[in-house]
Amino acid sequence: MRFRGGYDVFIKGRPSAKVEILPDPDVLHLPLHSRRFDFAEVCVADGQEVRTGAVLAKDNDHYGVPLLAPRGGTVRLGRPAGHITLTDLHPDDEEPCPLDEATHIAGDGGSIGIKRYKLLNLGAWQFFSDVHTGRVVDPFGMPTGVIVSTLHLEPFQARGDVQLRKRLVAFTRGLEHLQTLLEYEPIYLLMPDIRSPLAAEVRQTIRGYAWAKLVEVPLRYPFDNLSLLSRRLGLKPTPDKPVWAVPTGGILAADRALTLNKPCNVQILTVGGPAAEKPIHLKAMPGYPIKDILAGRTTGEDVRVIEGGILTGRQLSDDHVGLDIECTGLTVLAEQTRREMLSFVRPGWSRRSYSKCFVSAIRGRFLEEPTTALRGELRPCVACGHCVKVCPAEIMPNAIHKLLYQDDLDGAQRLRVDLCIECGLCSYVCPSKIDLRDQFIAASAEIERERLAEQEAEA
Amino acid sequence: MKWVENLLNRARPMFEEGGHFHAFKPVFDAMDAFLFAPLERTVTSPHVRDALDVKRYMSMVIVAMVPCLLASIYFFGLRVLAMIVVSYAVGGAVEVLFAVVRKEEINEGFLVTGLLFPLVLPPALPLWMVGVGVAFGVLVGKELFGGTGRNLFNPALVGRCFLALSYPKAMSSDWLEPGSGLFGRATEWASDVVTEATPLAAAKNGQWASLPDLLLGNVTGSAGETSALALILGGVLLVAIGVANWRTVAATLASFALMTVFIVRGDGQVAHDTVWHLLSGGLLFGAFFMATDPVTSPMTSGGKWVYGLLIGVATALIRHYTGYVEGVMFAILLGNVFAPVLDEVFISLHVRRLSREG
Repeated sequence: MRFRGGYDVFIKGRPSAKVEILPDPDVLHLPLHSRRFDFAEVCVADGQEVRTGAVLAKDNDHYGVPLLAPRGGTVRLGRPAGHITLTDLHPDDEEPCPLDEATHIAGDGGSIGIKRYKLLNLGAWQFFSDVHTGRVVDPFGMPTGVIVSTLHLEPFQARGDVQLRKRLVAFTRGLEHLQTLLEYEPIYLLMPDIRSPLAAEVRQTIRGYAWAKLVEVPLRYPFDNLSLLSRRLGLKPTPDKPVWAVPTGGILAADRALTLNKPCNVQILTVGGPAAEKPIHLKAMPGYPIKDILAGRTTGEDVRVIEGGILTGRQLSDDHVGLDIECTGLTVLAEQTRREMLSFVRPGWSRRSYSKCFVSAIRGRFLEEPTTALRGELRPCVACGHCVKVCPAEIMPNAIHKLLYQDDLDGAQRLRVDLCIECGLCSYVCPSKIDLRDQFIAASAEIERERLAEQEAEA
Repeated sequence: MKWVENLLNRARPMFEEGGHFHAFKPVFDAMDAFLFAPLERTVTSPHVRDALDVKRYMSMVIVAMVPCLLASIYFFGLRVLAMIVVSYAVGGAVEVLFAVVRKEEINEGFLVTGLLFPLVLPPALPLWMVGVGVAFGVLVGKELFGGTGRNLFNPALVGRCFLALSYPKAMSSDWLEPGSGLFGRATEWASDVVTEATPLAAAKNGQWASLPDLLLGNVTGSAGETSALALILGGVLLVAIGVANWRTVAATLASFALMTVFIVRGDGQVAHDTVWHLLSGGLLFGAFFMATDPVTSPMTSGGKWVYGLLIGVATALIRHYTGYVEGVMFAILLGNVFAPVLDEVFISLHVRRLSREG
C-alpha cells in the first residue's frame, strides 16, 4: 500500500502497556450522549431496580443501540442531568438479565439474524461502524468488506495490542464469530508488524476458522485511519454495502456476547498526555465517575481533559461526569498560562516542529511537553505548503481553505474536501494557526445538508 | 523580564475599546506580539499545535538574508543601513495605517518586504526615493490586494518596478564603487556616486568582470545582489529549512542556465559565460529570495516547476535580446502573473487523479 504525508506528534505521556483494573465504584453515571450516540428513549423509571445488562435507554437513530446497565442497581434519573445514575450497585457475580425472545428475528435472517440481534442487544454492535461516515452500520445489512483494526496511532488512546496480548483466544474466537456473520466478504486484520510473534500467533490460531487477511500498516499517524485504509485497500463500498470497521474491543465484545451470552460491560481506556501523573491503561465500566478515574492521575490543577486523542478528541465539559460507552482514552493537557519573551528568536532546541525552522531539526526524536497554547497568532494563509505535505488524504488544504474563505462551497467540493479524514494534522502544522480541520468538517456537513435538501426536493 | 510584561499589561486598557489610544491598538498588539508569545489557547482539536508560527517563519528569511546584508554593508557602506531604516519606517507606516483602518493586526510579512526592498536597489539611490518606492510597493503591491497572504505580486518588486520606470537614471546608471580592504566601506557614508556600469551593462560592451569578483561581490550593482557567495550561503539555508521551495530555485536556475547555454553557444566559452551569467546581476537574489515568496508563487509542486522555468527563461531572454541589461525583476513579476493560472491547471490535474483513484 502506498502512504503519503502523515506525521507523528511526539509528546510526553504515552500510557504504559500495563492495564490497571479499577475497583467497583459506589455509583455509576451513564451519559445519555456520547460522540455518536444520543440515547433519547429512556427505558427505565426513576427508582427502578435493574439487573446487570438491563437496557436503560436506546438510540433509535442508530438501530436501537442500547445503553446497558454495567451492574445491577437502583436507577436515578436526572441527577445529574443528561445521565442515568445507578446507585446501590449489586456485586458483579449476579446472573445477567436474560435476552428478550429473539425468535421473531430468526425468520428474517436465520441464525445470522439471531447472532446479530444478540450483538445488538448485548452492546457489541455499537462497535460496528461504517468506515466513511463513522456511523453504526445496519445490523441486518451486509458489508463490502470488514476492517478489523488493532492499531490506534493517535496519541493517546487504548491500543489494540495491549488488549490483545492477554486475550488472544477470545480475540480469535471473536474473529470466527465475525466470519459467521458474513457470506464471502473479506476481513482485513490490521497489524503494526505482520511478521511479529504476536501476528504469527494470531495467524496460527485463526487458521481454518476465519479467513482474515493480515495487513501491515506503517506506524505513523494517521495511517491507521479506516477511511484512508479502505481507500488504499481498493474497497469500493456502496450505500447499502458499506465497509465495516471493528476495533479490537468490538471483536472482544462480540466474542463475549456470542460465546458467553454476556453483555459488554467493561471497556479499556487510557489516561495519558503531558499532564498525566502516571500514564496508564485502565479497565473500567461505562458510567464510571470521571473524577474518580482522574483522581491523583493528573499533575497540577489547571488542566484540560480531552476525551479521545490529542488531535481529534474533544474537550470534556464539566457536566459530563461519567465515562461514556465510546471513550477509549482521556488525555490530560496543561492549560497555557505563561508567555515566553521573544520566543521566536530563540534557537528552539526543545521545540519540536514539522518544519525545520528550529534548531531541534538536527536533533533526533524527542518528546515534547506541550500545553494548550496556540503558539502563535492567527494570520492569513502564507501558502507555506506544510498542510499539503502533511495531508495523508492527498487533498490540498490550503487551496480548499482559500475557496472556503470566499464561501465557494462548490469549489471546495470540486477539490474533494469530502476525502478529508479529519485527522487534524493540517491544523496542527499550520503556522498561521488556521483551524483547517474545523472548516473542512463544517464544509462537509454543509455539502451533505445541501445534498439531502436537493434529494428531498426531487422526491 | 517580568516587568516588561507587567508594563504591557498595565498599558493594555488604554488601547482597548473605550481607551484613549484605541485607534492604535494594532500598534500595541504588534509590539505585544513581538515581545511575547501569545496567550491564546486552542479552542478545538487539535488541542496542541506545532511550534512554528508566521513570526518565526518570516524571521528565518531575515536570518537567511544576514550574509548578503553584511556583504552589502561591507561593499557599499552605511548608506545601505540608512536605506533599510527608511524602508522599514515608511513601509511600516503604510502597514500600520492600513491595519488601523482595517482594524486588523499588523502582519509579520512586512518585516521581510522591508528588508528585501532596499537590498534590490542601487546603493546610491536618494533616500527619499527609497521611501516613495516602498510606500508604493506596500500600498499597491500588497495592501490594495487585501494584505499579506492575498497579494498577487511580490510587493518589493512592485516597488522596485515603480522606481525603475519613474526614475530610470537613478535606477540604472548611478552606482557605487564597491569598497575593499579590511572594513570595505562599512565605516563610511559612501555617497560618491560613480556612473560605472554594472557588470551586465559592461559585458554588453565586451568588458567582462572576473568570476572571483562576481563570486565575492566586488562589483557594482544593487545593494544586496552583488555577492553571489553570500546569496548562496543564505539561499541554501533557506532551501534547507524548507522556507524557500527547492523546486522553484532549481527550476529557475536550471532553466536560466540551459537557456544561456543555448544563447551563447556560438562564442566558444559556453561554460564560462553560463557560470558568469548565473553569478551576475540579480539572478541569485531573485531565485532564492524573490521567486520563492510562497504567497506570490504557485502552491502546487508542478506549478512551481513551470513557474521557475518561466522565470529562468524570461530572464535569459530579457538579458540577451532586449534593451534592458537585467531581466530578473520583470521575469518574476511575469511569473507572479502566471502563478494563479498554473495553480488552476495543476490543481485540476491533481483532482482528476484523485477522482480516478476513487
